Amino acid sequence: MSVFDHIQTLKDQGLTQIKEANDLDTLNNIRVNLTGKKGELTKVLRSMKDLSNEERPKVGQVVNEVRDLFATEIDNKKEQLQQAELEAQMQKEAIDVTLPGKESYLGSHHLINIVRQDIEEFCVSLGYQVITGPEVESDHYNFEMMNIPKNHPARDMQDTFYVDATHEHLMRSQTSPVQARTLEKHDFSKSPLKMISPGKVYRRDDDDATHSHQFNQLEGLVIDENITMAHLKGTLQAIAQHVFGEDREIRLRPSYFPFTEPSVEVDVTCFACGGKGCSTCKSTGWIEVLGAGMVHPNVLENAGVDSQKYGGFAFGLGLDRFAILKYGVSDIRDFYLNDVRFLEQFRQEAK
Amino acid sequence: MLVSYNWLKDYLDVTVDPADLAETITRTGIEIETLEHPQEGLKKIVVGHVLSLKNHEDSDHLRVAQVDVGEEEPYQIVCGAPNIAEDQYVIVALPNSRIAGNEKIKKGKLRGVVSQGMICGLQEIGFSDSVVPEEVKDGIYVFEDAIAPGTEVYEALGMDDYILDFDITPNRADTLSMEGAAYEVGAILSQNPNLKIPEVSEDSQSFDSQVKVSLDLDESAVSNYRLRYLTDVNIAKSPLWMQTRLMNAGTRPVNNVVDALQYAMIEMGQPLAAFDADKIEGDLQVRFAKSGETIQLKDQDPIELGTEDIVIADNQKILALGGVVTSTAAEVDEKTTSLVLQSAIYDGALVRKSAQRHGVRTDSSARFEKGINWDNTQKAIDYLAQLIAENGQAKVLAGTKVIRDTQKSPVVIDITTARINHVLGTELSTADIIAIFERLQFGVVAEGDTLSVSVPARRFDISIDADLVEEVARLYGYDNLPTVLPVVEQTIGGYDRQQQALNKARDLLVGFGLDETINYSLTTHDKAISFVKEAKDVIALDWPMTKEHEVLRQNLVSGLLDSAVYNAARKQTDLRLFEQGRVFSQENGQNQEVDHIAGLYAGQNRPNNWQNDVKNFDFYEVKGQVEAFLKAMGFTKATSYVAEPIKGMHPTRTAAIYYGDQYVGFVGQIDPRELPKTKLKEVYAFELDMETLLSIDVEPTVSKEAPKYPAIKRDLSLLVDEAITNSQITSVIDENGGKHLRDVQVFDVYSGDKLEVGKQSIAYQLTFQDFAQTLKDDSVNKAIEAITQALTSELNISVR
Ligand SMILES: [Zn+2]
Repeated sequence: MSVFDHIQTLKDQGLTQIKEANDLDTLNNIRVNLTGKKGELTKVLRSMKDLSNEERPKVGQVVNEVRDLFATEIDNKKEQLQQAELEAQMQKEAIDVTLPGKESYLGSHHLINIVRQDIEEFCVSLGYQVITGPEVESDHYNFEMMNIPKNHPARDMQDTFYVDATHEHLMRSQTSPVQARTLEKHDFSKSPLKMISPGKVYRRDDDDATHSHQFNQLEGLVIDENITMAHLKGTLQAIAQHVFGEDREIRLRPSYFPFTEPSVEVDVTCFACGGKGCSTCKSTGWIEVLGAGMVHPNVLENAGVDSQKYGGFAFGLGLDRFAILKYGVSDIRDFYLNDVRFLEQFRQEAK
Repeated sequence: MLVSYNWLKDYLDVTVDPADLAETITRTGIEIETLEHPQEGLKKIVVGHVLSLKNHEDSDHLRVAQVDVGEEEPYQIVCGAPNIAEDQYVIVALPNSRIAGNEKIKKGKLRGVVSQGMICGLQEIGFSDSVVPEEVKDGIYVFEDAIAPGTEVYEALGMDDYILDFDITPNRADTLSMEGAAYEVGAILSQNPNLKIPEVSEDSQSFDSQVKVSLDLDESAVSNYRLRYLTDVNIAKSPLWMQTRLMNAGTRPVNNVVDALQYAMIEMGQPLAAFDADKIEGDLQVRFAKSGETIQLKDQDPIELGTEDIVIADNQKILALGGVVTSTAAEVDEKTTSLVLQSAIYDGALVRKSAQRHGVRTDSSARFEKGINWDNTQKAIDYLAQLIAENGQAKVLAGTKVIRDTQKSPVVIDITTARINHVLGTELSTADIIAIFERLQFGVVAEGDTLSVSVPARRFDISIDADLVEEVARLYGYDNLPTVLPVVEQTIGGYDRQQQALNKARDLLVGFGLDETINYSLTTHDKAISFVKEAKDVIALDWPMTKEHEVLRQNLVSGLLDSAVYNAARKQTDLRLFEQGRVFSQENGQNQEVDHIAGLYAGQNRPNNWQNDVKNFDFYEVKGQVEAFLKAMGFTKATSYVAEPIKGMHPTRTAAIYYGDQYVGFVGQIDPRELPKTKLKEVYAFELDMETLLSIDVEPTVSKEAPKYPAIKRDLSLLVDEAITNSQITSVIDENGGKHLRDVQVFDVYSGDKLEVGKQSIAYQLTFQDFAQTLKDDSVNKAIEAITQALTSELNISVR
């Protein structure tokens, strides 16, 4: 048997052994036997001194080829065996993935703040500044500046909590004083004023399902040289559609507020029936959602704004009412009793 | 104001369906709150003539009537009303009829006697108790005059009418009369209302010295005052048409004088008064009351008057509280024969205060408060005299005694077409606008596009051009206005820094698993000043409605605790609540309000799970939330936690929080004594003063590379006296750890059997790192050496 035949035999046997190896130890032994310092291929090389000068390089070359082949095959086999071992290991690690996960607590925003921030962010996208102000206000800003002098019948409409015996200071009954304060400060020569003022307000009401001595308002004000009632309609329509749905319409009805003239109540298509008429809308197809109007010249002049040159619109909405209407809340007190089962149901609402 | 559809037809050619009319008025001027049709739901209710009456054999109060109801044979009807009598014309509900409340009347037997229907009182067919005349309140209704039996009763009783309830806003008091309503509806329908012109036939005898009047008030208090005098009055019932109109207007008919006063006021808007001339002793005085004077109202204790009450008096007594109510002193009764009629205008504010002060709100006072048409005082007194003369066969003495007749200067407002279009966003022509003013019966003089508009005195709500713009807008129709978004110079929207921070703070706590609450700002005095380091002066309501809401809170935790107790009472005891809101106080007489944020924790620190790794919240878990919150908000400077008493908090499990050296809040366990009668056991809370925190400048973030060189960690296990606190130890470590000490963490605290009494072991992990090069063990060893020595010498701590 020539040396080449011997190498061929070694090669065939070696490859078979590698192929049949079942574990990493066996494979390692095979590697030592085949390619180790005392292995078969080394023996062949050692026997080369008996060969002719012509055969020697050829045998060397063939042995190296076979050694490389063995190395590659062993590596491949090793990879295979390692994978199989891991696979077997993971089979032993099986768990019941249908058992429940370990939940974390989920917090929730208060529904009124969800509604508030939703409208705020929409108005911000329209270029409105969000401006807040004090909840303990002066009679001056809450009433006088808003064209509600002492003895004005409108003071009956919103009975007020005063916090001093002289009735100079009070719990604000509306967020409009923030508008008065802003009107005083705003430089109209630099830019138009577009603002909203959200926040808590207080009135002398007995708490029941539909009344609360504390509730939340959001008022808007836009003043510039060319603001029209058509712009008011457009703005309110955009807000109503954002809050209540794209296919909602609005309509205006005459009303009265001391700080606007003309003044209007704003109805939106009933969301319960889509305008066909139902018990929610008392078969009118419409639901009253807010009040609005063109800012009364006295309000502008009181704040030192030239009412001949500048004018604009204002609107005011009750956030509690919006939340009640949009989510079907049946009792306004739920907002202030904070039963967690009530609070947590609005967790999924986007702001 | 209840406005009768049929009455409106006196002035206007109204043919539009009442429901459509109500809708149009609502959309154009005044909200119609309800539309009622009194006969709606009634069926087979007719006039009956009581032919004969006999007693029921088995009853001592029932009677059996034979009633002609227009059929061939009379109907037999059993009736229990005490006021039934033969030959009366009455209301009969026939068998199978429907009366008020959708009640069906059937033929039946009453104690064995057949009854073919029912004889009715007014309430039984739907009239309100408050408008039914006294004499028929407790029995059946009896018609004064004969009506053909079998006739349906609806027309005779005005029940075929439609009643529109005008929900009048304070500025539209001009519609508090039928005339006002007629003008309003006329403008909507583009018709000129045909108002009644009183026709008084005066007697030859004139009104001069019968009554002397002294008017001691100036024109601002009483701007108009006039009287008429009637003799030979015959007090009786008013005709049925007037009674039914009054009832439909919500007024109870009384007699032909009282009814005429009401009727004329409803028609013309002018409150009027009548005094029995024979009861007036001496002169009539119109003046302020003197202190100590009283007025006697019907069925009431005398009311003590003040010096700002306008009164009508004679030499002996008070006859009326001006503009509010007439006393019993000179009231009209069945024996009255001569009358002094009065038509006056008083100052609205004075009337309002009188009515408020004495708790007497009347239709009259409401009208003076809201405004009166100055043009109607003479017309109204003439009309009143005419009605009484007609209904009471009275003589009207010639002439009106006009004591005062202040004229109001007419209101003329200039406005341009351009201005109106500028405000409304419309393109109306001058002609369009003039047409609208003409519908309102306003005078218009046009010069180019400038209009001089004369506003009649009845529209006292209109004084500036914005008022005219509103008139144009509503009659043109709000639906016809364009709907567009404003086009203005670009403005930058957004929140200010504080709002952004507060929004972020709320988002963070929701992320930590807390539920956001909103509690009442107004609370009890005790709760208001609980959970604070030092209570300040409270802001208190001048006139609280309840003890529960009398002062403004100085903390948020007490509100959270209220909510927690409310939840616990409903078996919700695992709670994580927070609130962001204002707290209020007074400092040096100045009202202060600042934003706080507070959290409350009770029960389990996570939801139940089958691996059972759930604990109850404890101090350190809650403190960890506060620490993480402050870190996330960017308040990363030195924060210290100092054991200090906070009102309402556990005395040894509460830390005051200082940011730098500024007190910013607290964290700890709520004193169990604050939790009476609740299932809650250990409740933890924190409260932070966001106003103070946000006022501290936060350095802007500058990006740094992640460290390139490795950190070295060393553990130090210390045997410590129990009295020594972690913060004492860490400050020694910080001071002596050298410039490469980056972090000190506690990783174990042990006290127990294996240690001697009074000792505990605390283990720290220290992290050293040099950002410029790899740190050498040698320099870390030196630092540890320094720390160890300092701990031993300063705190007598042994390192194990
Ligand atoms: Zn509906």
